[in-house]
Amino acid sequence: MELSIDRLTKQYGRKIAVDCVSTVLRSGVYGLLGENGAGKTTLMRMLCAILEPTSGEVFLDGREVTSMGGDYRDLLGYLPQDFGYYPNYTAKEFLLYMAALKGIPRDVAGSRTKELLEVVGLSESASKKIKTFSGGMKQRVGIAQALLNEPKLLILDEPTAGLDPKERVRFRNMISDYAAGRIVILSTHIVSDIEAIADEVLLMKKGKLVSQGTVSALTKGAEGKVWELTVPQTETKSWQDKAAVANLRHEGEQVVLRILAEEKPAEGAVSCEATLEDLYLQSFRE
Amino acid sequence: MELFRLEHKKLWRKNSTRICVLLCLIYCVGFGSFLVYQCITYGSTKENHSGHNFDGYENIRNCQEYSRKYGVLTDEGLQEWVRDYQRLSAQLDEERKTQGSENLETVHKVQNSDLYTVNGWLRTLYPELERVDMLGVRTMSGYVEPEKLTGIYERREKAIDTFLEISGQTGAERDYLLRINEKVQEPFSWKWTEGWSNILGNTVSSLAMVLALFLAVVLSALFAGEWHDNTSPLLLTTKNGWRKLATAKILTGTVFTLELFLMVAVGTVTLQLIYLGTEGWDMPIQMVKMIAIAPMNMLQAEIYEFAFTLLGALGYAGIVMLFSAFCKNHVLALLMSLAVAYGPLVLRNRVPMVLEKVFDLLPLVGSGADIFRTNTFCLFGHYIWSPYLLIWVPFMIGVLCLLPAVKGWARRMRS
Repeated sequence: MELSIDRLTKQYGRKIAVDCVSTVLRSGVYGLLGENGAGKTTLMRMLCAILEPTSGEVFLDGREVTSMGGDYRDLLGYLPQDFGYYPNYTAKEFLLYMAALKGIPRDVAGSRTKELLEVVGLSESASKKIKTFSGGMKQRVGIAQALLNEPKLLILDEPTAGLDPKERVRFRNMISDYAAGRIVILSTHIVSDIEAIADEVLLMKKGKLVSQGTVSALTKGAEGKVWELTVPQTETKSWQDKAAVANLRHEGEQVVLRILAEEKPAEGAVSCEATLEDLYLQSFRE
Repeated sequence: MELFRLEHKKLWRKNSTRICVLLCLIYCVGFGSFLVYQCITYGSTKENHSGHNFDGYENIRNCQEYSRKYGVLTDEGLQEWVRDYQRLSAQLDEERKTQGSENLETVHKVQNSDLYTVNGWLRTLYPELERVDMLGVRTMSGYVEPEKLTGIYERREKAIDTFLEISGQTGAERDYLLRINEKVQEPFSWKWTEGWSNILGNTVSSLAMVLALFLAVVLSALFAGEWHDNTSPLLLTTKNGWRKLATAKILTGTVFTLELFLMVAVGTVTLQLIYLGTEGWDMPIQMVKMIAIAPMNMLQAEIYEFAFTLLGALGYAGIVMLFSAFCKNHVLALLMSLAVAYGPLVLRNRVPMVLEKVFDLLPLVGSGADIFRTNTFCLFGHYIWSPYLLIWVPFMIGVLCLLPAVKGWARRMRS
């Protein structure tokens, strides 16, 4: 299975939301990283064929997706960023309704709904109205609906928003299992989630795809540029002003700073292993 | 079908839908029928004349009993009725003189005598016998000489002629209307008329405006509500997508309209059967309005009025669904829908006659009671009696709205 994105562009008046993005995605989990307004959601909406691109095309196994119509949507699972639901529906009713929209036969829909509610940990709340759910529970209903038709292409826009750490781990494991033979694209601000499950990371900046690769390949680019430096507390402020401090940790009277810099920032600085978060911060440093 | 079933269930799960249906039933069946039959219209007058008793059921039976003796409308029958009435009227005068007030029993006898209907006939058929000096003093049936009430059916033909002339309906239009009138069968069967008069003049024809209100509230959110719930991205990425869903929604809106109509109609007809029974179904509608030209009996007229309301409601549902599909805000869709139904009513008396006739063709704006009138539409030189158009055009307008609704919704969803 291959999803080809060919010079995909979306322009709103003078503003270019997505700027000539081209890439090829094969089976695996793809993490979409970028700051707010980088164009992640717009790109995802175009991949879902619910937003018409200004130019460019998307192909699935060589077929242009908008021309595939229902066949494409049959292969697609989508969790939008602001997941909408019917407040008076129970989780089970909502999933059954979505199953009908996805063309899943009634008898299959029942068992699939039950199975998914269990997967996302909502079995006991299946008969409760969604409007009584917490943000995390609603998000899990959203994830379940995206998986209803066992999609070959799963697009999740900020799926872990609102999930507690335990649920995030459950979600990550579920997606890792699910991704075999499928394409999963997810965006999140929680870099550790992408680091944990993404086979490849797509880094977007101002509508452009600035880099793409595995976590290790990308972080390799930041190697030798991440330092740890222990300084007295009184110097913390001045270091924050003059260098890119990714993290600071108090150790007694001292503070350990994690600094992103091309060269060794000070005599006592020690080079350390770069993480995806370091890369992210480095990429989006003004 | 599964999608329709779920969409239909979704509509009924909404609190707003349930409240609307309940209010509609309370208003149409509870207030508009039950209270009207049992008290407001058919309850006997209270002793101090300050309202009506809660005895409509018995009172209706008395009314029916009173008129049953006439059977067929003839000159002799009408004269007998007038003599009876004048006797009762004189008795009332006597009671007032001797006792200072009327006996309630005599008052009830007068009220049960189909007074208003017969008085209407007299004024229509014998206008020359109406005395200006008695206006507001005594009803025409109270002073007219019974022997002069002859030639009812010839008088009726003459009254129609005069009416058409006054209305400016001459030439081909007049001939066309008179041809319809030729099919009216004489003599007329005569039973208690006021019940049927109220059903055909008020009960059924007023359902339309009430249905319009509740249909607008429920159906304006049918499409536009998806924006409120922010579910459009989900709907657009499903296999059945917008097209099948839109079709399911259209079907849901149509079925809901049918359901609401049926609930109201069944409730209304059931109460009608309980209170009025079937007596008088075969009377011609001319017994309600003498110069009506339609060759219909009461039952046929009621069926027409219900059909008019149903087709109008379906047509109106089509318009509401169109607005709902085009507006992202269901409140805006609601206001636009209400404007279509109630705007023409407000503007009716302020627009030229031609525009008024066009308004009548809008769903639920015209009236099923046009079967009592001689209104026509002139299309390509041919005259068409208004009820023929008023029943179908609103429905067709609604049908024509459906395709743009589906397409419009799809366009809005993708924008």
